[in-house]
Amino acid sequence: MAERTALGFGVGEGRMGRFLAAAMALGFAALVASGIAAAWSTAQNAAHTRDVNHTYEVELAIDRARIVIERSETTRRGYLLTGEQVYLDTYRSGMAILPSLLAQIATLTRDSPLQQRNLATLRALTDDIAQQRERTIALVARSDRAAALAVFQAETSARRMRAVRELAAAMAAEEQRLLAIRNAEQRASVQVFYATLAIAGVLLVVVAAVSLATVLRYTRDLAASRDTLRNFADTLEAQVTERTADLTRANDEIQRFAYIVSHDLRSPLVNVMGFTAELEGATVALGELIDRAEEHAPAIVTAEARIAVREDLPEAIGFIRSSTQKMDRLITAILKLSREGRRVIAPVPLDMTAMVDGITASLTQQLAQRGATLTIERPLPTIVSDRLATEQIFSNLIENAVKYLDPKRVGHIVVRGKRIGPRVTFEIEDNGRGIAASDHSRVFDLFRRSGNQDQPGEGIGLAHVRTLAYRLGGGIDVTSELGTGATFRLTLPVTLTDAIASETLGKVQ
Amino acid sequence: MIDHKTVSIVMIEDDEGHARLIEKNIRRAGISNDITHFTDGTTALDYLFNAADGPQRNGPALVLLDLNLPDMSGTDILAKIKASDGPLRRTPVVVLTTTDDKAEIQRCYDLGCNVYITKPVDYESFAQAIRQLGLFLAVIQVPNLEPHG
Repeated sequence: MAERTALGFGVGEGRMGRFLAAAMALGFAALVASGIAAAWSTAQNAAHTRDVNHTYEVELAIDRARIVIERSETTRRGYLLTGEQVYLDTYRSGMAILPSLLAQIATLTRDSPLQQRNLATLRALTDDIAQQRERTIALVARSDRAAALAVFQAETSARRMRAVRELAAAMAAEEQRLLAIRNAEQRASVQVFYATLAIAGVLLVVVAAVSLATVLRYTRDLAASRDTLRNFADTLEAQVTERTADLTRANDEIQRFAYIVSHDLRSPLVNVMGFTAELEGATVALGELIDRAEEHAPAIVTAEARIAVREDLPEAIGFIRSSTQKMDRLITAILKLSREGRRVIAPVPLDMTAMVDGITASLTQQLAQRGATLTIERPLPTIVSDRLATEQIFSNLIENAVKYLDPKRVGHIVVRGKRIGPRVTFEIEDNGRGIAASDHSRVFDLFRRSGNQDQPGEGIGLAHVRTLAYRLGGGIDVTSELGTGATFRLTLPVTLTDAIASETLGKVQ
Repeated sequence: MIDHKTVSIVMIEDDEGHARLIEKNIRRAGISNDITHFTDGTTALDYLFNAADGPQRNGPALVLLDLNLPDMSGTDILAKIKASDGPLRRTPVVVLTTTDDKAEIQRCYDLGCNVYITKPVDYESFAQAIRQLGLFLAVIQVPNLEPHG
């Protein structure tokens, strides 16, 4: 299990946002377009209504003009027949409003050349008719009715009146034709409007559908991611446990490896040392033989044999022996560190002042030899930790401080401790030879030492101290200047719990 | 020629060099008992329990046992020898090994090992230990098939 699952969304959040914004913009554009279309359509409608009204106004004006002409003819005829003044008055008043009616038609139809031409014809006709009428009226006025009737008969008034009617009908028809054209235009504009509305509507539906689909998919992806996350959260604990178990197992293997290797390395070493000792024994026997031979028969002793037995063999054996001893010490060190890493630690309350007092007491002789003093800044804080490990750390650090004092000045070592929150910091300060800055981290490595190699040791102590400090859930570092002294600072938890102890099991070498 | 009740030494040690060194030092300590050497656990166990001239039929014997054997752990052999109803439970067993792990030493004593000697690289102490073993052998050399007091 424990494989890493990528936390990815199907739709990128940025891409998703941009897409939705674009879709909404498109939707709004469609709405605006349909609004504009509606406004345009309304304007078109209003214009059309105006046109329709105009057509009816024109038709009305034409009709009124025609009626006036007809009525004036009727009243003229009444006057001709009766000679009564009332007919003449009615005729005059009718004819008086005719020019204004014609002018109205002219105004209304000024945009149509055809109607203007028709109107001109109508004017000519009415003028012609009016002249004839005036002639007959004048004759009647002079009481010459017979002459008037003769003129009336001679004139073609009925034909002219028909022409007027036909002309009026033609003009009305022309207006109807114009109205028909306008109606067609209106229908076309309405169709455009509906088409625009339909396109905008379709666009809106599409945008809405796509947006909805995108949002749904995004939501689904989000839900899937959330489920994945929840699964992670649920299995995290198990994964951590599993990894910790893996680590612990790996660490155990390293420990076992170190242990087995050091044992198996030791086994041949026993042979090397053992048979070296046998060789040494044999060399002694050979030496005695050479001594006796020199005494009794010097002639048989060659210089090579003498040098081989007296110098070469002991020298070779000496090197073999010292190297093997060194190797044994190194193997022992590895073995010791490996054991420390595996050792079960048992936290108990520790009186650190008493512990350091005890260590100091065991070093009294070395301190006296070097004329050095050790001061404990009492009382040291008490802690709960493993007794053996803590004791080993402190004795290593204090022994080191004593061991590496500078013979050129009076040695002084100070041990102090301070509690800071849940941790305690101990300092072991000396005015010894110090450690060069470049060696500060190196001194804690296994088999590494710093400065003059004039003191016995394998470079194990501080590596051991660090391993133990880690094991106790703490840490160690050093501040030092070459030639002025060193301060080792050990930090430990005030209370070492089993949880810390089991946690650190995997961290130590 | 001492009688058949002479303590014979059974050495179970896979390292020929170690075996030779142990034998040399035993001889130097003045011990002349027979030494039968085995380099693996299986044949050693077979000899201990089944061989016609093995200790079960001919006793008494002393077992020198190395814990790191190629085919089995020395502690298994120790447990078999010291099994509470086994015929060889009173046979002294000296564990000779490179292990100086306290837990392992403890375990060997718990299983009934009589002496535990670590093989130090320092040869002098090793020789010393073997010489002490010689003294030990001298003490138990009294032929005796009766239960020890």
